[in-house]
Amino acid sequence: MTTTLTPRSESSTADAVRLRGLRRTFASGGSEVVAVDGVDLTLAAGSVVALLGPNGAGKTTTLDVLLGLVPPTAGEVAVFGRPPREAVEAGLVSAVLQTGGLLADLTVRETVEYVAATYARLPQGCAPTDDVLARAGLADLAGRRVSKCSGGEQQRLRFALALLPDPRLLVLDEPTAAMDVSARRDFWAVMHEEAARGRTIVFATHYLEEADAFAERIVLMARGRVVADGPTEQVRAQATGRVVSATVADPAAVADALRRDLGPAVAGTASIEAGERRVVVRAGDSDAVALALLTRHGARDLEVGTASLEDAFVQLTQETR
Amino acid sequence: MTANATATDPVDTTAAPRRSGVPRRSGAGRMLLLELRRISRDPVTLFFTVALPGFLFLIFGTSEEYAGADIGNGNVAMAIMIAMAGYGAVTATVSIGASSAVERSQGWGRQLGLTPLRDATYVRVKAGLAVLVALLPVLLVYVLGVATGAEGDLAAWVLSFLVLAGGAGVFALYGLCFGLAFRSEAAVSGASGSIVVLGFLGNIFFPLSGAMLTLAKLTPLYGYVALARYPVSEGYVVTGSDTVVHDPLWLPVTNVVVWTILLAVTATLLVRRGRGRQ
Repeated sequence: MTTTLTPRSESSTADAVRLRGLRRTFASGGSEVVAVDGVDLTLAAGSVVALLGPNGAGKTTTLDVLLGLVPPTAGEVAVFGRPPREAVEAGLVSAVLQTGGLLADLTVRETVEYVAATYARLPQGCAPTDDVLARAGLADLAGRRVSKCSGGEQQRLRFALALLPDPRLLVLDEPTAAMDVSARRDFWAVMHEEAARGRTIVFATHYLEEADAFAERIVLMARGRVVADGPTEQVRAQATGRVVSATVADPAAVADALRRDLGPAVAGTASIEAGERRVVVRAGDSDAVALALLTRHGARDLEVGTASLEDAFVQLTQETR
Repeated sequence: MTANATATDPVDTTAAPRRSGVPRRSGAGRMLLLELRRISRDPVTLFFTVALPGFLFLIFGTSEEYAGADIGNGNVAMAIMIAMAGYGAVTATVSIGASSAVERSQGWGRQLGLTPLRDATYVRVKAGLAVLVALLPVLLVYVLGVATGAEGDLAAWVLSFLVLAGGAGVFALYGLCFGLAFRSEAAVSGASGSIVVLGFLGNIFFPLSGAMLTLAKLTPLYGYVALARYPVSEGYVVTGSDTVVHDPLWLPVTNVVVWTILLAVTATLLVRRGRGRQ
């Protein structure tokens, strides 16, 4: 019915990832910790999606479930229309994990050869070792022991391992956590190439800048739930909206007037607080707020600042309660 | 032979970037070679694994007056040689099995969990590695045995060697279970320590008798060494009270089979658990 650009026709019509009512709990010292609490998520094949959220938001657990590393407590999981473990066994999905261990006494090349050996049964085989080493920028380090590699180099090695099956879905869990600024820039440059080859990429991060720079869609998670989901620009505005504050004669009256006057576009994302002498407005469209304050309400000492991401997380999390 | 004609599927010709010409060697075989290379990178541990059983044999098996006494199809020196070779094989395999715990606790299990590697294949690779390394102390002790007067039928030499080599894999599973269950360096020393206890219970270091001997027959090293000694001893066991008792062949065979199944099932279940975040 639909034409497909992908060579593996058996899964061409399926979404890359489909989660329905995903729930995952862990037993912890007699009590039950809810890591993922009812996540519905569909990721189209070929998209680049950031899973953004603070530590403990349930990002890693969600990724673990869709990689088949842990079973869901409840809900449905499908990767290219298959159970996760089947998708892994078919080489359709691979990942760079936050805590993926490596063997310290092997060299970089041997590590790639070891993992390549696990793909020996794939009918299509796997990518040549030299090829993935080159693409991960490790060609010059092939003979080095893993124990002698820096954190960033080890992360590149994990990335090389993830490229072996030529996966259609690449999952990255906090991929740049161990990298310095320049390594981080290089990493994302390489990832842009991989996205351009048509791979679906899902990455978890708690850096808004990374999500912003690289993803076309952001899924914001907090406390095991999706609290915002949409195109990057939209979620960024929602998450970071600016904070406008100004001194006015009667903060309470001005706050009421602003609530009345500002259009629904602003009101939808705005929070307006009246203090003793100042009114504080958090809104996506800070220009409109500033204009109204200065021209209509005789505001003085006006300040426009960026809300911190932490503030945004807290705010969005509270809204879902 | 049962393959369908899918290779010429015209749709797949668009999959050009897929590579061809990669040699289709067995994945498990390549993993085994890399694991052997890792072992060779720790020569100190390897030296003690290989040399200690040889040293024990020279102490127990050659410097006593009874070493030359005949039993069954050989002499006492040969029976002691088999026991020490068995002990050496077991310490080698147990430490290899247990050290995989450390790997997994450092997340290698998660890394492998992202690949199509089957649990059973992982266990087979590790067991194969353990058996290969276990052959080193066995060969050394056998060479020392030949040099210092162990005597037996040719069949006894061959059969006992084969039982030691094959049975060592069971103890790779034993170490693996320890390692997977406790996930730390302590697992390696715990497993090795328990092997010393099982060695005494296995009637390896000195002859047991009475209730102790009865209990010993249920322990894993007893079955392993008794089976390896069977071609020499024909099942006759000298007890600590200088009497002779007879084990029918089914006893060590059952012991080894039951322990193999028990440990294989446990190891596979524990591997499955190892994929989760740690």
